[in-house]
Amino acid sequence: MRQIAIYGKGGIGKSTTTQNLTAGLAEMGKKIMVVGCDPKADSTRLLLNGLAQRTVLDTLREEGEVDDLSQIEKKGFGGIRCVESGGPEPGVGCAGRGIITSIGMLEDLGAYTDDLDYVFYDVLGDVVCGGFAMPIREGKAKEIYIVASGEMMALYAANNICKGIQKYALKGGVRLGGIICNSRKVDRENELLREFAKELGSQLIYFVPRDNEVQRAEIKKKTVIDHDPKHPQAQEYRNLAQAIENNTQFVIPKPMTQERLEEILIEFGLMDSIKDNYHI
Amino acid sequence: MSGAIEQPRFTCALGACQSVVAIKKGVPILHSGPGCGVQVSRIIGQGEGYAGGSTMPCTNSEEADVVFGGEKKLRNVIENSFKVIDGDLYVVITGCTAAITGDDIASVVGEFQLDDKPVVYVEEGGFKSNNYVSHSRVVNAIIDQYVDKFYEDSEVIQGLVNIFASIPYQDPYWNGNLEQLKRLLTGIGLKVNILFGNESEGVSEWKTIPQAQFNIFVGSWAGLDIVKHLKRKYGTPYLHFPYTPIGAKETSEFLRRVAEFGELDQKKVEAFIDREEKKFYSHIDKMASFMLEFRYGIPRRFYSLADASYSLGFSKFLLNELGIIPGIQFIVDDIPEKYQESVLDEFSRISDLQRRDVKVVFDPDAGLDQKKLVEDAKDYEDKRLLILGSSWDKHIADELNADLLIISVPVQHRLVMNCGYLGYEGGLRAIEDIYDRVLATYR
Repeated sequence: MRQIAIYGKGGIGKSTTTQNLTAGLAEMGKKIMVVGCDPKADSTRLLLNGLAQRTVLDTLREEGEVDDLSQIEKKGFGGIRCVESGGPEPGVGCAGRGIITSIGMLEDLGAYTDDLDYVFYDVLGDVVCGGFAMPIREGKAKEIYIVASGEMMALYAANNICKGIQKYALKGGVRLGGIICNSRKVDRENELLREFAKELGSQLIYFVPRDNEVQRAEIKKKTVIDHDPKHPQAQEYRNLAQAIENNTQFVIPKPMTQERLEEILIEFGLMDSIKDNYHI
Repeated sequence: MSGAIEQPRFTCALGACQSVVAIKKGVPILHSGPGCGVQVSRIIGQGEGYAGGSTMPCTNSEEADVVFGGEKKLRNVIENSFKVIDGDLYVVITGCTAAITGDDIASVVGEFQLDDKPVVYVEEGGFKSNNYVSHSRVVNAIIDQYVDKFYEDSEVIQGLVNIFASIPYQDPYWNGNLEQLKRLLTGIGLKVNILFGNESEGVSEWKTIPQAQFNIFVGSWAGLDIVKHLKRKYGTPYLHFPYTPIGAKETSEFLRRVAEFGELDQKKVEAFIDREEKKFYSHIDKMASFMLEFRYGIPRRFYSLADASYSLGFSKFLLNELGIIPGIQFIVDDIPEKYQESVLDEFSRISDLQRRDVKVVFDPDAGLDQKKLVEDAKDYEDKRLLILGSSWDKHIADELNADLLIISVPVQHRLVMNCGYLGYEGGLRAIEDIYDRVLATYR
């Protein structure tokens, strides 16, 4: 069983990428569980064709306890088992603790069955506290992929996430599997991401081009593969799935200094000089 | 830097709930995990009071309250506390969990305050401080959120004083000590808001706090923030007497300082002092034969493991009135560094007759202090020793064959009712209790 956590800046397309990617893996016949670790609970909407699912924490709130996996797990596209951690309403409580509680509960209920090939954790953009690092603690996800784009803030966030990974990598076995580019059609995006990944000691595992088909499928509450299997974008996600299936490069990332990050942006990106920062 | 310490002789900040228990018909409401309140009352809570111990309403926060926030539950517990416990003042105190999660206590309690309910809140978070510090925060919160509502530039009442001294329950003899203070100050012509315990008139007394002519703070440091706050808020001047006055000499000194500060009628004050001293020394006269008989068997040297106020107060009393020499004084109240100098200064002036260097150790790690005490005591094996400490010091007292007088929490080996060691009567009581232990060795 490979346990994989997907991180990245908020709004970068982690959930979209995770679901399209897992749809590709499911097509290949893999057994998968997707665990949404975001209080918004929208990590499995495309796989389930809607937000019909009750989250672990909703169930806990309403019933006091969860006795059975079937209360919180739903099967989605290609037999993918979907679980949403959920969380408190915005502004109250502790969402990080919510994730710890949820994952603990999944373990107790025996969700991690041996027949699974993959478990994916789709984690909230910013690792703000210990709870959001839960999926990469000892005994859980050993592989991390960071979704990024050529936009500066996405790279800042990715670099920051690498600092967190480095900390846990030194204590446990977690490794960075690569950067997934979810293209925003920024000029020279591919080169920039390649250089950025190289600097981290990792790789750009796949470049997912931007295509409106993704949005069209999303509106229909579907992954691209589910919505239009023949569309070229569906093949892109199949390729991403294959790249992850075949990946052998797992590293402890070497996060860079702010200065070095800015140099790369000047060299490969849009930025002419530091003072033009705001253009991006 | 923080580190592990053994035998802290105080509690986390939540311990200030005991200050509320000490107010007549005061009800603390804990927004904390189950067990927090028990932990507090086990260390500093002999007797439950009106709404203490297991009566204390508590939200018993559990995992769901962490994840989803505990505000709803708190609202519910406050509402029901009003129904179930007939209180005059309710004080919500938050523990660690709610403080980390960031529950908005102000808005929950604010709803009830808008309804004119007598409820205030202190966002303490057990980890924020110890109860010596949080006692002041609780008192100041009551002043700001409740007492102040009734203050409309009301006139100062001449002769009215607020007393802030023993921290209820942290000082095991708080009630007796406060009773003595009230008796003494009333005796020299003042009208006294004692605020806590039996001699207090309860919440109605608290409402007149802003009208006091002046405030008196008796103690080395814990509580100083209250009188400073009152000075800022209402301009009330304060007198700081930096230790617990025990016995005739120190009590007379205390009363004279109060009289001078408050510009009281000297003749009346001196007449009171004279009466009290005569009574005090008449009892001392009576014990001359006992002292003679036991001159080789009475304690010659004493150690304290206590807070600064008691350690200073007892040192002055035992040295100057009974001739018992102070050994190392272990100050275990985690006194902030900025106050340590003044304590040392007070120790340096302990005797009027000769300069005496008392060794003072400021260390809340009472386990370590005990070790040092036992080591030091080896040099005095031929002398009978006295230890002023807590129940946790019983085993070293046994080991050293020393007498133990319990003046600090936790208190497990004696029952405390109205006993107090403050004042003239407190001094006599201390003498009884110290030499009782000598007589107890009679076969």
